[in-house]
Order: sequence, then structure tokens, then C-alpha cells
Amino acid sequence: MTHLVGFGAALPETVVTNAALASEFQVPEEWILSVSGIRERRRAGEDETPATLAEAASRKALAAAVLLPSQLGAIIVGSGSSSRQFPGISADLQRRLEAPGIPAFDIPLASSGSLVALALAVDLAPRYGPVLVAGAEVMSRIIDRPPRTKESAILFGDGAGACIVSPGPGAIEVTDIRFACDGALGDDLSLEPGAPLVMNGRTVILQASRKLPAAVRDVLGRAGLHPADVDLFVFHQANLVLLRQVAKTLAVDESRLFVNVDRYGNTSAASLLIALSEAAEQGLVSAGKRVVLGAFGAGFSWGAALLTVRG
Amino acid sequence: MANLKDTIRRTLEPLALVPIPDDPDASLFDLGVIDSFGLMDAVARLEEALGVKVPDSDLNPRRFETLAKIERYFASRIPSGG
Repeated sequence: MTHLVGFGAALPETVVTNAALASEFQVPEEWILSVSGIRERRRAGEDETPATLAEAASRKALAAAVLLPSQLGAIIVGSGSSSRQFPGISADLQRRLEAPGIPAFDIPLASSGSLVALALAVDLAPRYGPVLVAGAEVMSRIIDRPPRTKESAILFGDGAGACIVSPGPGAIEVTDIRFACDGALGDDLSLEPGAPLVMNGRTVILQASRKLPAAVRDVLGRAGLHPADVDLFVFHQANLVLLRQVAKTLAVDESRLFVNVDRYGNTSAASLLIALSEAAEQGLVSAGKRVVLGAFGAGFSWGAALLTVRG
Repeated sequence: MANLKDTIRRTLEPLALVPIPDDPDASLFDLGVIDSFGLMDAVARLEEALGVKVPDSDLNPRRFETLAKIERYFASRIPSGG
């Protein structure tokens, strides 16, 4: 059984407030908050890239796991905003960490990339050793491409999260993790090289509001559990309205949702690991707890994980 | 289909951001009657009100863009002969 043994997050210092965006797009601040639940988001500086943010988050996760980069068995990075087509962010991260000679690859799926990366890491860790999973995004450079729209600008933020998936002992057991994809609607959330982001919000939200609860029920059902048995839900922080709808569909109280979308916006594939890192830091992933992770994103792809925290 | 029409309108009314148009072919999206999240809620409420489960493969916003399209879709999903 694999375990999660260290977490880390890295957020750029620059804060973009709703007031700034309200002024830029001539919309009420209250509108931004009501449609997204977001109060502010972070924006990467000129010198920051998905790889530098991933490195900062990864070094924190390695330190928390008391591991050296040389002890890693593999590196997987989930991201939808790689600044080059190939090689991916993972190659840059591997170089920065000085961890050569091990598998390193990207999962280029916005929003769901780190959940998919975690699922693969769970399978790889027993054969290769501890797997560093990072989710890193600099969405601002994509949404700045003309035409810069208010719908994207208010939603997305930059940042990175990381965790270590260990084949050895640990407190946070990955009891199960599953993901699935359906390319039929892939064009509705997509990014061509150098082009603006394509996001058909209505389709994404309709599908996510259905697929995410189903993925959670699936992973819980395989363990003979129900949503009511879960102490904490850590989802990709897409949008507060969507998170609340998912909680409603699962018939769980919103107080069981971990939420930081209000402070960081939607950081795409980074959000799940940033949220998990903060939840762990706040002592919410503690002994005796059952924690469910979930994400929906490009592809479309979606999935969920069940974590069991041993005492 | 008068009942279906009324049920659809009654179900959408609490979610409408601006008055629901009389024209059954007017786009609820373009008029701002329902936004992205309202649509998610609208489908869930219509399923409940009409006792019809919309399969994932039918979750295409264009199916629910106008009152006429919504009515056509649910009319095709409600078992007849009851």
C-alpha cells in the first residue's frame, strides 16, 4: 500500500484583487465574488515559471518527507500551462532538483493533471520508489493572450503544489484512486500552442457537476463507504459555486469541503495539491480521518481518491 | 404538452436572472436568463420535477438553450402512454 508522506505548496507573492479586475473589466466586485467565490488570486512574476514554482513546492514536500532528490524513484508533473511543448516541466524540474536517471514526465491536463499524476504515481511507486508528484501552473500567461476575457481573468491563478507518494510506511494511506477520460468533449476545454484558452464554461460545469460526484461515489463504493463516511473532501478548486453543487449532490455539509479558492482562485492542475498541502498543514488530514480527493479537467478527465489516515 | 411547458417554466423561474421570455425560441443564454451555474442547477431541478434522468452523454448546453429545446428534449425522454 502506498502512502502520501510529504506536501508542499508555492504561491507567487503578487496578489490580484477583485477590485483590480473589477476596474479593468468595468464589472462590479460583487459580481466576481458571486459567480466564482474568489476574492483574490496570485500572479507569477516575470522570473517565475511552472518549473520554478514546482521546484519550490517540491523542495518543501521533500523536506517534509525527509527525502533527498537523489532518493526519488520518479517525477510526474501535472500542468496545463507548460511554457514549451516539449520536453515538459518535469524535465526542467528534474534538472533543477538534480535527480537524473529516473522517469520524469508530464500529464498535460489542466485542472485534473495532478489527480491523474497521483494515480500513476501510486502504480509506479512500488516499482521505482518514492514518486514526486507536482502540479504547477502559470495560467496568467495564457489568459493574458488576446482577447483577455473577464471570464478567464477572474477565475485563474498561478501556483504549484507537490507531494511524495511512497511505497513505504506512512500515516496517510492511499486506499484507492481512480480516474477516467472521455475525449468526446475535449475541444470544450483546450489550448492550442500560442492560442487563447478555449473554455466552454457551460459544458465544463454541466459535465463536472455530474462526473465529479459520480467519481467520488465510485471510489467510496469500492471501499463499501458512502459520502457521509468522509471527514474531508479536497477537490480541485475550480469555483466555489461548483464545489457547493458537488457537496449538495453528495448530500454532505459544505463544512466538510476544504476551500481555498477564495484566496488563490482556480490554479488548474496545481489546485488539488495546494489544497491538500494546506489541509495537511492545518491538521485536517489527521489520525482516524477519511479524506477524499477529486478533480475534473481537460480531456475531459476526472477521478477521485480515498485516503485513510492511520493513528 | 401544456403541463410540460408550465412545469419547465415554473422550474426555471426561481433560477432566472432576468424575466423568462415569452418566445420559446429565444436563447436563454444570450438573454442572460440562465448563466453557466444556473444551467447546472436548472438541469438538476428539471430532472427532479419531471422524474427524468438526463444521461451524461446528453449534457450538452445546446439542448437546453431555449424553452422549445428543453420541452422537445424532455418530451422525448418522458415515457408516453401513461
